[in-house]
Amino acid sequence: MKRALFGGLALALLLTGCGTQSSEAQIFAMNTFMTLTVHSPHAREDVKAATALINQLDRELSVTRPESEVWALNHADGNPVEVSSDTAALLKAALELGEKTSGALDVTLYPVVKAWGFTTDEHQVPGEETLSALLEGVDYSAVSLIEGEDGAAVTLPQGIELDFGALAKGYAGEVCADLLRDSGVTSALLRLGGNIQTIGARPDGKPWMIGVQDPSRPDDPDAVLGSLAIVDQAAVTSGGYQRYFEQGGVRYWHIIDPSTGSPARSGLSSVTIVADSGTLCDGLSTALFVMGREKALDFWRQEGGFEAVLVEDSGEVWITAGLSEAFTPAGESTYTLHIAEA
Amino acid sequence: MKQRSNRFWLWLLGALMVLSGAIAFWVFTRTAAGTTAVVTLDGREVCRVDLATLTEGYTVSYTGEGGITNVVEFAPGGVRVREADCPDQVCVRQGWIKTGVAPIVCLPNRLTIKITDGQPGQLDGLVR
Repeated sequence: MKRALFGGLALALLLTGCGTQSSEAQIFAMNTFMTLTVHSPHAREDVKAATALINQLDRELSVTRPESEVWALNHADGNPVEVSSDTAALLKAALELGEKTSGALDVTLYPVVKAWGFTTDEHQVPGEETLSALLEGVDYSAVSLIEGEDGAAVTLPQGIELDFGALAKGYAGEVCADLLRDSGVTSALLRLGGNIQTIGARPDGKPWMIGVQDPSRPDDPDAVLGSLAIVDQAAVTSGGYQRYFEQGGVRYWHIIDPSTGSPARSGLSSVTIVADSGTLCDGLSTALFVMGREKALDFWRQEGGFEAVLVEDSGEVWITAGLSEAFTPAGESTYTLHIAEA
Repeated sequence: MKQRSNRFWLWLLGALMVLSGAIAFWVFTRTAAGTTAVVTLDGREVCRVDLATLTEGYTVSYTGEGGITNVVEFAPGGVRVREADCPDQVCVRQGWIKTGVAPIVCLPNRLTIKITDGQPGQLDGLVR
């Protein structure tokens, strides 16, 4: 009996001592705060590798760092610039999304965003003439990306400036997830600011439960519209409620409609996208916010490959059919739910 | 003799089980009731407050290397940034947090406030 007792104790110690560890890193990068949590037998090394990758992407893709590739592109005076595979891959995705969304996502909007002061927090409402002059230089299709065997080169016509702000965090989550999966990680949660990227399921095998912020109560992180059960996917929300300023009783937010150069007023207060690709989630959450509910749902029916939660200013919530099982509304919700059929 | 020895081990086992049960109960009730706020400045932990043991609120000011100051208010069950001289005021607008779903972050001052071991919420994260 004694032997059995000690045997059992020794076994219990062994079971708890080895196997999966959990490791977490908290980093400031890409102009936001990120928490990377990995559960694996080599979690510490995995988290280190993911952190290094994110810092590298931050250096390459930042629009404000003078050492970045984006900075080099924006200051090349129309000359071609050689870029890394990351910049090339992200630009390619951005241009494809621009094409698909008929310009609702445009990575050349940066001069307009600057004019509103969203890059410096010195906010102002630009005059109409200023905006229409700036809008003439906004055209993603004028960007030239030439990919060869030994690298890629990008040429921006003079006056055009790139900014990956609407995509970079989604892309970073996606490539980190690929890196972690390649090293054998089957359970990890990457919180990149308000973006979520998951790898596999939770350590207990259940789906990750991700809250969707209630856009009418943006100040309270405990106020959620509902929750999404997701496995091995990314989720990203865009809304006008987090970065904005008020002037003369009007609220101006940072999501700009490329066709007007002003904050997108489409009747939506937030858009959440769930998909395998974090880059797609990030880009489409912005583009569908610009489109408004009807166009957004038409786009979903035509393109597919993602699911969405659309919240209207009126309090109506539209959930695409593929999320009807995964979405659980919050208990005391004042919203009216609709399922959008394909 | 043999029987007495067996009885001794049984008693010892029983006593151990009761003791470990008591320790487990103490640990679990302690963490379930506790809501600890952890403040970091530029990635370094600068303060840890057990909010459950507070009977009244108080404030502490944190100034980072850039000279920005966040006035953090700790109160029974919650924590917030009461005022700050950062340009965006995002941290102030976030108001009180009571659970670990999303931390308060002041990017300009590189300050974070996170709640650990709060209610074991069902949410792993938040998209916003």
